[in-house]
Amino acid sequence: MVVYRREPQRVLLTVIIVAGVALIVMSGRFSGTLRSGAHDAMAPVRSTVDRAFQPLRNVAGDITDYRPLQAANQRLRRTAADLRGQLRRNRGVGAEVGELQKLIDLPNVEDATGIAARVTGGAPGNFDRTVAINKGSAKGMRVGYPVVTGEGLVGTVTSVSTNQATVTLVDSPNLGVGVRLETSNAVAITEPRTGDRSIPLAFISDPFAQVQKGELVFTAAVNNAAFPPAIPVATVTSYSKGPQDLAPTITVAPLVNLDNLDFVKVLRWPDPTAASG
Amino acid sequence: MGIRRIRLLLVVITLLVLQTSVFTHLRVFDAVPDLLLVATIAMAYESGPMPGALFGFAAGLANDLFLTTPLGVSALAFALTGYAVGLFQTGLIRESRSIYPLLGGVGSVAGNILFILIGGIAGHDELFAAHHIQVIIVAALYDAVLANAIFPFMRWATRTDVGRAWPPG
Repeated sequence: MVVYRREPQRVLLTVIIVAGVALIVMSGRFSGTLRSGAHDAMAPVRSTVDRAFQPLRNVAGDITDYRPLQAANQRLRRTAADLRGQLRRNRGVGAEVGELQKLIDLPNVEDATGIAARVTGGAPGNFDRTVAINKGSAKGMRVGYPVVTGEGLVGTVTSVSTNQATVTLVDSPNLGVGVRLETSNAVAITEPRTGDRSIPLAFISDPFAQVQKGELVFTAAVNNAAFPPAIPVATVTSYSKGPQDLAPTITVAPLVNLDNLDFVKVLRWPDPTAASG
Repeated sequence: MGIRRIRLLLVVITLLVLQTSVFTHLRVFDAVPDLLLVATIAMAYESGPMPGALFGFAAGLANDLFLTTPLGVSALAFALTGYAVGLFQTGLIRESRSIYPLLGGVGSVAGNILFILIGGIAGHDELFAAHHIQVIIVAALYDAVLANAIFPFMRWATRTDVGRAWPPG
């Protein structure tokens, strides 16, 4: 058994605690640069390890899936997702004509050029709702760019290093998205809760809006929005409004399966004419 | 830099690479293991409270670089966990290997609760969520299992007699 003298320990422990608190307080000033540098420094090693462990990760899949069949299946899934997304966007645009007439100069999702990226992994921690993608500032990636798949909105880029970026997912409590309901055109903001894959809507513009289960929710068309208008986000899964309630309770489920992402497209937004990297 | 420090640095880098690459694909019920937290607990078990706290601070800071919470949250949580485990281990009989998963699991619960408390106080209110009870429990089980591999690794890294080779006896 080892016996330790307590007094110097307490002083050192106090120094550690003060250093930790100081780091937290000043984190906002330099965390971006430090994190970007750390990602860049680790990128080659992580990439090598990732490739080395890929067969191990595929073991479970390989037991049931023949590789070429799996690849073909993935291609077909992406095509189907693109077509479903196109169909939904058409529904959204159809319902939004009047609104767009008022915002005639507003750029839309078709104007934004994109950066295709592969999802390389989930969050390394237990309390983040993010994914990592394999494109970074070298390809023109910037913080704030929206991320989509063919099916709809995935999230937004929240940190960027040279060859990698982190995407905060649309069901993360750290991300609220301005949305518009398909039939009523009422606008609201998503208010995700920790650990819950379904998302409640808050600040609904029309408390008497008629909402149906299964109707789509799109990104709202407002000036200086973080997301282009008319991107399908979610589908309404529940709606209730008691006689005493001032506003309805609406819950939506993301259209994209956020737990099984493969390839994504990052939109150059709000500068859709930015040159490709 | 002494050989012991180089080994500890290699341990931190190795575990950090595994944490940020391989284990991001091995999420179970929304939980991943905290390899560097388990390493901190092992360090405290092998070397005592202050080495545990110092290693925990450095390992936590490295971990923070890959998270979205403010820098310093993991550093502080891991340092306090390392210190607490270091104090606790002075009263343990250090013969049985069966203590590894127990310490790994209990230390993981303590470390993650501290992380949530510190992160919540730092402004991340979303960390105070009932769902995280489930995450903490699953992560603790994960950490308990991996402690069987990480504790011997840390014993090798912390030993001062450089002539002895892996695996540790």
